[in-house]
Amino acid sequence: MLEIKNLHVKLADEDRVIINGLNLKVEAGEVHAIMGPNGSGKSTLSYVLSGREGYEVTEGSVTYKGEDLLAMEPDVRAAKGVFLAFQYPIEIPGVATMQFLKVALNSQKKARGEKELSTPDFMRLVKERAARLNISPDMLKRPVNVGFSGGEKKRAEILQMAVLEPALCVLDETDSGLDIDAMRVVADGVNSLRSPDRAMIVITHYQRLLDYIIPDQVHVLSHGRIVKSGDKSLALELESRGYAEFAEEAA
Amino acid sequence: MNVIVPKTAAELNYGLSLPHRKMEDWRWTDLRQLIDRPYPPRQTVIASTKDVGRLLKSSPFAKVAGTRMVFVNGHYSAEHSQLKNEHLASRVKIDEPVINMNAAFATDGARLKISDTADTPVELLFISTNADPRTIATRNVIEIEKGASATLIETHLGEGAYLSNSVTEISVGEGARLDRVKAELEATDAIHLSHAEFTLSKNTVLNDFTLTSGAKTNRQNGTVEFKGQGTDAKISGAFMLGGKQHADTRLMIDHQVPRCTSRELFKCVMDDHARGIFQGKVVVQRGAQKTDGKQSSHALLLSETAEFDAKPELEIFADDVICGHGATSGDLNHDHLFYLMSRGISASDAKSLLIAAFVGEAFDVIVHEGIKEALVKFSNKWLSEHRREA
Repeated sequence: MLEIKNLHVKLADEDRVIINGLNLKVEAGEVHAIMGPNGSGKSTLSYVLSGREGYEVTEGSVTYKGEDLLAMEPDVRAAKGVFLAFQYPIEIPGVATMQFLKVALNSQKKARGEKELSTPDFMRLVKERAARLNISPDMLKRPVNVGFSGGEKKRAEILQMAVLEPALCVLDETDSGLDIDAMRVVADGVNSLRSPDRAMIVITHYQRLLDYIIPDQVHVLSHGRIVKSGDKSLALELESRGYAEFAEEAA
Repeated sequence: MNVIVPKTAAELNYGLSLPHRKMEDWRWTDLRQLIDRPYPPRQTVIASTKDVGRLLKSSPFAKVAGTRMVFVNGHYSAEHSQLKNEHLASRVKIDEPVINMNAAFATDGARLKISDTADTPVELLFISTNADPRTIATRNVIEIEKGASATLIETHLGEGAYLSNSVTEISVGEGARLDRVKAELEATDAIHLSHAEFTLSKNTVLNDFTLTSGAKTNRQNGTVEFKGQGTDAKISGAFMLGGKQHADTRLMIDHQVPRCTSRELFKCVMDDHARGIFQGKVVVQRGAQKTDGKQSSHALLLSETAEFDAKPELEIFADDVICGHGATSGDLNHDHLFYLMSRGISASDAKSLLIAAFVGEAFDVIVHEGIKEALVKFSNKWLSEHRREA
């Protein structure tokens, strides 16, 4: 589904290189965890995959379902099934969450040449998905992420994911700022979306999220490249030994 | 030393001096320059039924208003109105260029007294039909009596090149409430000059909103005088301007008595070469303690050539007050745009959504749902006409 080859990324207005020869292959149905110390390039990878401005790809390629992902605008990527759950979801005053979800879903459907959802069908879909994530109807009436607590923001991201049903989900530090109960709700939401035709990249600093979302593969990112890959036991190993050895190895 | 400035053709025609940029209140809107030809006043123009019908229908509030008072080319039209025009005396005697012009040339105007609760909105509709350039001046006197409440819409529409001058005096009696919405949707070749004078008695509520989207040149003055304690006034506005439109709003909020609240919020969207100006002054007079007054103006510039000027002023002569002002100006937030696009919304749809949200904040002062919906519809239409690809 996704193949990243020798990816090099620098900041657009600075000479700082963030991703430095990254290779990664993710197949449908798989869950990959990417772990690494602060500053290793985890968030940059998520932004490059979703098409945020401010980054420049100097070398390498990202192929998604056989197409050049990097050539697509963010909205085109989304319509083709790429979804980023933001580490810091953006607050958008004046745009009601419900309206936002509806415009987003129907924009994607339109771009794919599918039939748009009627308002009653859409409402049913959202209410059903929201209930599973303990999201109140009142929250859906509020402007996107405005006045939401940290936990509410993360749950709202997972709700968007559940409504938009993407093929490739990138979760950027979805566990940050969550207490253990909130993390369980979020992880349940993510697990319910696991399916043979959906892939997930779970970016996290800590191992604890991976107790709930069990990955097929774990990669260690350091200085912008993957320095070690393994199965879920690698995450536990990192938890006990820390990132120190990888930081030195790459330096 | 006095410099003799030769009179312009318009000034000679009017027999009046026009304000110019050397006058502080008019520094951005030099009417000596902007009124670039004579617009003869008091012209009689007979409008065709077809023209009037078309303009009547083009009001965004055609389906919202319960009753209407219609003025065609500066004269009350009983034929198109459902309310009788009463006789109320005008009281405003301020030496102000817009009012002076109005005093000299006004031909007619709404005289409206509301004594109980007017549940359905009343629309005052001023339409100008296409004819030779001319000045159309109207003077309205509106009285909301003690304990009464009303929703008023004031709509200005037209076709062709004309100058419309509108002065409205509004008094809100003790314990009364007024929700007022003004829509300035004049023809693209028109000049719109207006002055609204509010006098608020004790324990009144005023919610006022002005949409400014028509005319090539627009200057709107508003004065709000707090005459009785416990009064609450919210004055909001939205500019939606494109082309070479010029809109200058000057507000004067005059707290004369203690314990009143005033809020001003202006959201201004400017595209192309449009220029928006907001001059807001809050005065707290001696003894007007416990005044709570805040004003803010925010501009969204959709092009490199659009411009916004803000001049907030506070004049406070009391020591126990809360007053503040703020002004911002900028383009759309890129993080907001990216977030919307990352969910599959196209760049142009994302922009429209964000702009609509930006101006929509100013609509929040409007209580009547039907009017609010009509304005949202108008702003979406404006956005679809001004949208451009990313």
